[in-house]
Amino acid sequence: MTIFQAIGVAGTGATVHRKWLDAISDNIANINTAKPTSEAAYQEKRVQVEAVDYGAGTSGVRVAGVTAASSPEGRMVYEPDNALADAEGYVRYPDVDLGSQMSQMIMAQRGYQANLAVVDRARETYLAALRIGSGG
Amino acid sequence: MGIEALGGATRGVAPSLPSLPTGSVAPAGLVEQPASSGDVTNAFGAALARGLQSVEGLEATADSKAVQAATGDLTDVHDYVIAANQAKLATELTVAVRNKAVEAFSEIMRLQA
Repeated sequence: MTIFQAIGVAGTGATVHRKWLDAISDNIANINTAKPTSEAAYQEKRVQVEAVDYGAGTSGVRVAGVTAASSPEGRMVYEPDNALADAEGYVRYPDVDLGSQMSQMIMAQRGYQANLAVVDRARETYLAALRIGSGG
Repeated sequence: MGIEALGGATRGVAPSLPSLPTGSVAPAGLVEQPASSGDVTNAFGAALARGLQSVEGLEATADSKAVQAATGDLTDVHDYVIAANQAKLATELTVAVRNKAVEAFSEIMRLQA
């Protein structure tokens, strides 16, 4: 990735934001996933990101790992008519905050778009370099 | 020589570009040939070949991403579009280098007319 590097670096940023969007999508999809009290609740996924060292000849960003951001206890909800309810009538719901997920979704979407804007601008810049001397 | 300044600027911008030996190829027959002029011409050919190889590498990446897109194995849409754009830019760069070389050559040929 030595030639046209700005484009490749912005590509790694777009990939990271796509993975963040995947995690948010998983969190929202499972927001109403009930579990019996004998099992752990669904835990909110949070993407951990790290910079790739520029000095090593490569640069950009990558996903270092996915961590659980909410407790396995979740929220205990009294739902005696749920098939998964225990003897006291409780089930576990994941402790995921929809408002937080929605704002993270905005950040992930805008971050993705910003990286694609960099790709476009870098392409225009390189094309301008190719037009040097052609009078265009 | 003024043209060498242009070549220097090119080297500064992109170290991997094959640089145009504009100054050395041109004066065939007019000025006394330095012993190494054949080497210089070969060096340009080799550099162009190296450039073409890197274009081929980028094209191969774009091709494999296109296959992944067709088979449903592509995880990132932008990966393919970025690879295709990089291959296109590299091709345009090679064509620009070739055009400049041919331009310089034709200019020299016109000297005899």
